[in-house]
Amino acid sequence: MAGVLRMREAAAPGRSGTARGALVRLVLVRLAASFAVLWGAVTATFVLLQVMPGSTADVLLARSSVTPAIRARLVAEYGLDDPLPVQYLTYLGRIARGEFGESYVLRRPVWDEIAAQLPDTLLLVATTLLVTVVVSVLAGLLSVNRRAWVRSLFAAAESLVVALPPFWLGLLLLTVFSFTLHWFPAIGSSSPAGLVLPTVALAAGPAAVVAGVLREGLLRAMEEPFVVTARARGIGEAALRLRHVLRHALLPVTTLLGWIAGSLIGGAVIIEIVFSRQGIGRLALSAVANKDMPVVVAVVLVTAVAFVLLTITVDILTWVIDPRTRDAGR
Amino acid sequence: MGAALRPATTTPAAWAGAVLLLALVAACSPGTAGTAGSGTGDASPRAGGTLRLAVEKEPECLDPHQSPTESARLLTRPIVDSLVYQDPQGKFHPWLAREWKVSADKLTYTFRLREGVTFTDGQRFDAAAVVANLDHVVDPKTKSLLAGSLLAAYRSSKALDPLTAEVTLKRPDSGFLAALAQPNLGIESPITLKGPASKLCAVVVGTGPFKSETGFTSQKGIDYVRNPAYAWAPEGTKSGPVPLDRIEVTVVPDNSARLGALTSGQVDAVTGLAPASVGTLKSTPGFTLHTTRFPGANYSYWPNTEKGPLSDVNVRRALRAGVDWRQIVKNVYFGVYDGAQGPLSASTPGFDGSLAPAYGHDPAEANRLLDQAGWTGRDAAGYRTKDGKRLTLRHMWSDPSVSNLAVQIQAAAKRLGVEIVEENLDGGTFVNRLLAGDYELIDTSFSAPGPDVLRVLFSAENIPTPERGISNNMARYDDPRTEDALKRALDAASQSEQFGVYAEVQRRITEDAAVLPIYSPLSVVAARDGVRDVRFNVDGSPDLSGVWLAS
Repeated sequence: MAGVLRMREAAAPGRSGTARGALVRLVLVRLAASFAVLWGAVTATFVLLQVMPGSTADVLLARSSVTPAIRARLVAEYGLDDPLPVQYLTYLGRIARGEFGESYVLRRPVWDEIAAQLPDTLLLVATTLLVTVVVSVLAGLLSVNRRAWVRSLFAAAESLVVALPPFWLGLLLLTVFSFTLHWFPAIGSSSPAGLVLPTVALAAGPAAVVAGVLREGLLRAMEEPFVVTARARGIGEAALRLRHVLRHALLPVTTLLGWIAGSLIGGAVIIEIVFSRQGIGRLALSAVANKDMPVVVAVVLVTAVAFVLLTITVDILTWVIDPRTRDAGR
Repeated sequence: MGAALRPATTTPAAWAGAVLLLALVAACSPGTAGTAGSGTGDASPRAGGTLRLAVEKEPECLDPHQSPTESARLLTRPIVDSLVYQDPQGKFHPWLAREWKVSADKLTYTFRLREGVTFTDGQRFDAAAVVANLDHVVDPKTKSLLAGSLLAAYRSSKALDPLTAEVTLKRPDSGFLAALAQPNLGIESPITLKGPASKLCAVVVGTGPFKSETGFTSQKGIDYVRNPAYAWAPEGTKSGPVPLDRIEVTVVPDNSARLGALTSGQVDAVTGLAPASVGTLKSTPGFTLHTTRFPGANYSYWPNTEKGPLSDVNVRRALRAGVDWRQIVKNVYFGVYDGAQGPLSASTPGFDGSLAPAYGHDPAEANRLLDQAGWTGRDAAGYRTKDGKRLTLRHMWSDPSVSNLAVQIQAAAKRLGVEIVEENLDGGTFVNRLLAGDYELIDTSFSAPGPDVLRVLFSAENIPTPERGISNNMARYDDPRTEDALKRALDAASQSEQFGVYAEVQRRITEDAAVLPIYSPLSVVAARDGVRDVRFNVDGSPDLSGVWLAS
């Protein structure tokens, strides 16, 4: 590899100390900003739930007719009759103290419920990301710099996959691989075999998108002068793509993956339903429909925290992948 | 249950609708269900084995004292026994109470309890346990969503001796025994009632044929094991040891996934199949359909009798006669559902079958009634008008699964010159408009095990208003003579007297066309052929306690 590439130079031993300091500063600045993000998310949730039609008490009690005494008790206990500013401040105070309380509808401590649903969600997000990365990198590397019609073929396949509705793909996978071939279970999320189909259904869209973005990046990087230099030094085609070109193309992909991971945490509802999986998405869906504020807030916070952590991770990864960004950090 | 053809519930609005529907379907008190044959015929039950069951819905909270949902009843019936047992025909039998006496003023019930019954946590069942349970349901701290309806008349209870419990009511309530027979007033271990209410939402301990120590996990399900000590099945049911060793219930919300899991042998039985899937299974060898009509109110259109065009009884009668409801039901639901024959489903104890002719199709009569009501003009689109105003009815709904049906009804109404405007709303807006009475038609079914449901649906006390909150008289029907009959029904000294009064109520409601009944929802258990003796409880939910596996 030697000192041909700028990225290598930038990471030269003499400058690594300052670079590490920049990284620490980057993380600190990000952390401070994250608090603002979390406050924003929490406030937006409060406002949106208030704006939703229907009073919380009515929606909560839609499940049956209760005596006025019970209704009054529920309203008093949840503070639903307090003026909005009071409700908002009480609500912020509780969150600041880490008191998320009990779900209005599930009647259990919110964190118990989150803790019960989160592991399955995280597992699915992790396998989905892994599959997305592996498949898109393979597809990207295989398709780049081939004849134009090969690239078009890949692009067409990707568009097709992106256009597939996830629930339809899920049902199709279930029908073929579970109901007909009996390879994988249709229900029961705990076993590794049970993860396969939901992961494929969930990763298909993101993998196709990322593969497309990656190919564009690779194509652009292949035009860069350093490719000519590297080739002139006699590097093999595979090594060129893997070590040099891919590194350039990975930058936009990293950002994209961070966003995908964040959105999967609360956004995998349909796959969770089709595959009867436990998950945060289903929890969030029913909580919003029931105006179950404590649960909605907790889900929003979990998702926001995940986004913040992912953003920081993406920044660190970018820092590792592209030394040019290290200067910008100062 | 209005939810025929319910697809994967994929939108928040759909979810809200489903929840609300569930809610409306859920409250109330007991009566009867017709039991479908379960294709046994052969031999005595084979003991042992695990039944794997996939269900479509889950309770928010397992504890039947707190949660009014149909799924909480289904999932706790194997765990909790009741003082009295009500068979699917509506008759009462001894269960945890060996016998009972009602005082002449119908205010005091004295229960002699069965001896030697223990909870699965080792506690003894006695009169103090009965008192603790009833007090727990009415305790405001329990925030029971049921106490208001099931134990509305309850004053207090006390233990006269370890095996005698006395319950005092505030006013006579002929539905009290039926309420006691529901899992919602099932007897739980008193020690667990003192613990946190949140724990009861996962783990319920009773005296029933099964126990579940790990309890219910939301979005997943619940596993039961046989209670080896169980020897107090209700009288009049098949007694003897409980056949199954285990039951594993998984929540599988998607209809296609449930059907596929069954046909591919991943589960032994499923509940809540959509009509199209029921049709598919009928022609699939190796599987048996066990069905019963849900007792209670049919899936119906509820006309706003308080204001708007439908406050005119002639317009309501015209709509009832002018739309061929039965043909539409046949077309939309593949012949799986039966058309309605009255306000109540035919499987409800106390159902009056003599009123069926009033629900026949007669378009000529419908047009005559509309002319008589003054809707004689016609506008450019062919709709009837009066004083230049079009005859428009706003049908408000929030459950998309019924849209096929709604479209057919809309088309049939158009042939009469009546415009139905379909309004698909989010849950919150739906609730606001319901409370304000700002609609002409609402649709829902309301399953309940007896004719007491008529009070829930037609008493003026249950008209939803902003002050009262959600209530179930969606027709906003307010008729003094009906009100008087509903009071007499509560006072009835015997079940036959009670049924007589409720027959009168059904007649009044039919005369006033206070409801447009459409079809009787079905409780469906689809199982592989090896699953035997699938029966149904009085509320239409499947009874798992007698099920056995022939293979």
